[in-house]
Amino acid sequence: MVRSMTALAAALIWTALAAAPARAADKVVLMLNWYVYGEHAPFYYGKAKGLYAAENIDLEIQEGRGSAATTQAVTAKTADFGYVDIPTMMRAAVKGAPVIATGVLLQTSPMSAMGFVDKNIRQPADIKGKTVAITPADSMTQIWPLFLKKTGLKESDFTTVAGDGQTKLNAVINGQADLLLGYVMDQSMKIKDATGKDVYPIKFADYGINMVSSGIIANSDYARANADLVKRFMAATTKAVEAAEKDPKGAAQSILDVNPKGGKIDTLTQGFELTIPLYRTPETRDKRPFQVTDQNMTDTVNLMVEYGGLDAKAKDNPKAFYSNDYLPK
Amino acid sequence: MAERTGPGYVSRALNAAWIRPFLFLIFIVVAWDLTIRLFRIPPYQIPAPGDVVVVLWQDWPELARQAWPTTYATLCGFLLSALFGIPLAMLIAGSKTVESYVYPLLVFSQSVPKVAIAPLFVVWFGFGIIPKVISAFLLGFFPVVVSAVQGFKSVDPDMVDLARAMQGNRFQVFCAVNLPHAMPAIFSGLKVSVTLAVVGAVVGEFVGSNSGIGYVLQRSIGTFDLPTMFAALVILALLGVVLFWVVDRIERLVIPWHVSQRQDVIFAA
Repeated sequence: MVRSMTALAAALIWTALAAAPARAADKVVLMLNWYVYGEHAPFYYGKAKGLYAAENIDLEIQEGRGSAATTQAVTAKTADFGYVDIPTMMRAAVKGAPVIATGVLLQTSPMSAMGFVDKNIRQPADIKGKTVAITPADSMTQIWPLFLKKTGLKESDFTTVAGDGQTKLNAVINGQADLLLGYVMDQSMKIKDATGKDVYPIKFADYGINMVSSGIIANSDYARANADLVKRFMAATTKAVEAAEKDPKGAAQSILDVNPKGGKIDTLTQGFELTIPLYRTPETRDKRPFQVTDQNMTDTVNLMVEYGGLDAKAKDNPKAFYSNDYLPK
Repeated sequence: MAERTGPGYVSRALNAAWIRPFLFLIFIVVAWDLTIRLFRIPPYQIPAPGDVVVVLWQDWPELARQAWPTTYATLCGFLLSALFGIPLAMLIAGSKTVESYVYPLLVFSQSVPKVAIAPLFVVWFGFGIIPKVISAFLLGFFPVVVSAVQGFKSVDPDMVDLARAMQGNRFQVFCAVNLPHAMPAIFSGLKVSVTLAVVGAVVGEFVGSNSGIGYVLQRSIGTFDLPTMFAALVILALLGVVLFWVVDRIERLVIPWHVSQRQDVIFAA
């Protein structure tokens, strides 16, 4: 009698547990810095491979309209996380915006001045007499004066035309400009898609501009209130980046699976492969992604204050801009 | 003996046309400032009106210098809208054939977002003033045509018949009857068009320019400089107001006889 009752109770409990719904996954919105291109592959790959679901996160990826706009969205909590140019985020943070970088992915800058390979513009000195297309006050244009200083160029050595992102691309494709300022893995691939011709980027990093670039940001109040969620998100994203590094083509394909108009498989793969070397500096060569060194961040802040127009009070506490505490070991 | 007993100086001053919107504007600014203080809105979301005024005061020369290319592009675009819009409206109003072919396409083209095709203008016409003028023209064109068609179509046919009966040829009849009757509607369209032309010029600048108020806006958004951004918006709004007022004055000169231009005249008994 007792045994059969126990067996019945066990059966009932087992049924109840099996039928009970799993705890609902946390809905999280990640807003990118721009329309999708190769650099964003890890996020789509991680979502496709269930790495976010494994941390009980239901991730929604939204394309952005510039690091400044995405930073403001995160500040206003309309997006939970943002993937932006960290120096741009610093500008907002120093004015009091409650944002913090929870992981810095690109520890070397992808900024470059790029033009068609057949124009043979390989060195900064070749820029003299050419036309450069810029977007006023975007992340690259703000560092451009520093690049000029480091390479001994002056504004009067070349002509500048200004326009938005699409206009810059059109200008180089149609020959109205010889070069544009862009990321090594973004505009170069778009131009290749449109014309079939290769583009050569003069990388800012090769000329002594050592600063970090893209990373994950969150509203600091949100991060404090949801520390566990932020840790899970960073753990999932770290695994996503590591997995994508090992399978660049699969990572690029995961973008197209979600967004068939997001580009072409070959150039998305090439763009992502160009991004991977930027993840680490010599100091972090053996470390997992996102583990930026304090020195790298301090150098970035100092550069931004001296040449990027960042308020000098940023130098007082560079650590206020980022935290490695949410990263997995 | 009749005495002049009208309203006193103060009442007349308060009733002057420009005082009331100015007072209302001051009210809005005060409400804006109070809202920021009450809700503790941070400066990186909405700038305090004081900061915007400071920028307007300090950067006045630079802002004025940048306002000139925008104004120039607006005026050129607006004049082109008027120049092409009114004759086109005459054709549409005068011929059912033209109307059936052209008018639906015109409405169709209006829904094409100009901000999406603006980069193409830069590709076709380069980085000078032309893409901005075209952008301003395209935005201001439609209201002029629609209002002018309405104006030309609503001419009283009896008046036309009367003038024809007095042996007026088509051109004389047009100048004496059709055009004056259409003028009120045309001016109404022109007033809407001039404010849209400002928007068009700024869209053109966003897309491809390194001068103008649109450029100032773009630059201040990128550097999170909200007071300058709002100052630029104020300048653009003022530009629209001034141009609207100019068109209104011209209307007063051209059609002083129209019922909308009547002013209240008070005769003391």
